Amino acid sequence: MTSRTAVVVGGNRTPFVKAGGRYADASAQDLLTAALDGLVARFGLAGQEVGEVVAGAVLKHTRDFNLTREAVLGSALSPHTPACDLQQACGTGLEAVVYASNKIRLGQMDVAIAGGVDSASDAPLVVTERLRKAMLALSRARSLPDKLTALARIRPADLAPVPPAVVEPRTGLSMGESQALTTAKWGITREEQDDLALASHRNLGAAWDAGFFDDLVTPYLKVARDSILRADTSKEALAKLRTVFGKGEAATMTAGNSTALTDGAALVLVAEEEYARGRGWPVWAKVVDAQVAASDYVTGREDLLLAPTRAIPVLLERNGLTLDDFDFFEFHEAFASTVLATLKALEQNGVGTVDRSKLNVKGSSLAAGHPFAATGGRIVASLAKMLHERGPGSRGLVSICAAGGQGVVAILEA
Amino acid sequence: MGRDVVVLPTLPEPKGVLAKALRGLTKKPGDVATLPARTHMVMEHRVAVSRLAAYCAETGFALRDEMPATWLHVLTFPLQTEAMAADDFPFPLAGLVHVTNDMTLHRPLRVDEVLRVSVRAGNLQPHAKGATFDMVGEVHVGDELVWHGTSVYLAGGARVAGDAPPPVRLAAPSVAPSQEWRLPGDLGRRYASVSGDHNPIHLNALTARLFGFPRPIIHGMWTHARAVAALGGELPDAYRVRVQFAKPILLPAKVGYGVVREDGQWRFAVVNREGKPHLVGELSVARRGEP
Repeated sequence: MTSRTAVVVGGNRTPFVKAGGRYADASAQDLLTAALDGLVARFGLAGQEVGEVVAGAVLKHTRDFNLTREAVLGSALSPHTPACDLQQACGTGLEAVVYASNKIRLGQMDVAIAGGVDSASDAPLVVTERLRKAMLALSRARSLPDKLTALARIRPADLAPVPPAVVEPRTGLSMGESQALTTAKWGITREEQDDLALASHRNLGAAWDAGFFDDLVTPYLKVARDSILRADTSKEALAKLRTVFGKGEAATMTAGNSTALTDGAALVLVAEEEYARGRGWPVWAKVVDAQVAASDYVTGREDLLLAPTRAIPVLLERNGLTLDDFDFFEFHEAFASTVLATLKALEQNGVGTVDRSKLNVKGSSLAAGHPFAATGGRIVASLAKMLHERGPGSRGLVSICAAGGQGVVAILEA
Repeated sequence: MGRDVVVLPTLPEPKGVLAKALRGLTKKPGDVATLPARTHMVMEHRVAVSRLAAYCAETGFALRDEMPATWLHVLTFPLQTEAMAADDFPFPLAGLVHVTNDMTLHRPLRVDEVLRVSVRAGNLQPHAKGATFDMVGEVHVGDELVWHGTSVYLAGGARVAGDAPPPVRLAAPSVAPSQEWRLPGDLGRRYASVSGDHNPIHLNALTARLFGFPRPIIHGMWTHARAVAALGGELPDAYRVRVQFAKPILLPAKVGYGVVREDGQWRFAVVNREGKPHLVGELSVARRGEP
């Protein structure tokens, strides 16, 4: 088999919006369809068959069991385009790109669309376990006494819906509370975190002003820019925010240096390199390699969101690279302290030092927001474009942490 | 005689119009010669995303920046009701039957565009069971006509001079239904709240019975919208769609939907268990400059 290369040729996302805001009435499927519409329009894919569309969502209704395929059927793509839902918490979008790229490399398809969507506004509400069991018993009951027995098991308190919570099932800690443990353990200061948040807002604002997102974002529902972005925020403004995670004097994490619940969708167009050239598509960057890893966080021995520090050395080793060989680092800002602890751990473990001037230079999740499964698509499309602008041979490293103590990292190269 | 133009500051709230319409129940049409030469207009309408979202969720459209043609009809509806509720409008609103609808979306219309919405009545015609007339709606952006639609209503018992023209009949596609829709009993109330059409025949059994229906019937425009939404991603950017409302759907209901695509046009029907059509329609790509 001849060698095949998977390349990113472009991307499209909706502007990201704080949960409960301008996208409050849009479902996850609406958002994914909107991102798909924009990509189809940008690359003239209307009526065409794409090898596969792969995407996912972290907050997902049971009715959305075929979310991606449903979005395809609502789009202008040929109905013969197959689709697949994939999910690895916040790693979803990047894992989708890896899945698509691997299939392309193996010759199973020539072109794919990969990414994800999340709507914290459209999060499913779950009924209590007692109500759910009673309703299932009721649906099985055939006789009136059986039905009445099933109904009688329901208590008034069972009727209250159970709101969704981003809590680790095994530790009972929310992601912020888990990260507060990491923040304290690695001695990350409030000032460092606020500085990183400030840089994220400034970088993202500058990228918007420079028109960087003109061919990466399509407006949706009267929103043209990421709405969480505060390009004019200051160190002083960030310093005034009260802490929301961690306890007492030692608490350092605020709404300013933690990501907000966000609605949005992001997709990437991936193709085999020769195929892309044949279609006249720009070849932005190769998807070189990727690695996943997981951390032993349940016992408290390791950190929930530092699994990428296990994946990165494996990936570098396999590709014969060091941290000095990269032009850009895209480290997902779940929390400012996640990125800072990741950098510290990489240094402490002897992996190397990340040049901060190459880190998240177009802003990241603190400023853009973080619709969980959409973040990978946002990062890959932006990084591929940055590498294309930098020129052939330039390299970027993506690192995304995910719930369940997982991490997915990847190398892109122009 | 010139046309009256009534400019309203905003689209009227449908419930107020309904009260006016109920007062019109005492109208006894008899011989009718003309309709008021009057246009109702709203100069600058901005679509509320939350209303569009609720409409899309109820009718099966994805919530896009580009708005469905049937939603633009919904925007004209309060003006239609306003026009028909006027004291000098000869027919009582509550007894009118929506027979056919014909609308054209000339180009994709985005949710952030500022719309001029207008409605006028015309084309009074004799009919075997009374009289028909058109409610013509138009949506402009600046000077550009972006949507127009004609709703034909039948006023039973009215008399208009002349011979009734032959009725327009759309042919149902000869195809087995490929979809089954389950319409819940409260669908009429739900669609009323997203469309603003609170006609009592759609709301509950009691109010429906007052008008001779054993159960509430779903709005024809819901069925119309759902049938267009069913085309999913195939729906063209700009299109003309014509429908004929053949037989009301009593709620709750289970109905079938079939569609064929031939010669660049779609023909569809919503049918009952016996295959008899409730609604028959045709949709084709609209090209610039065509009516």
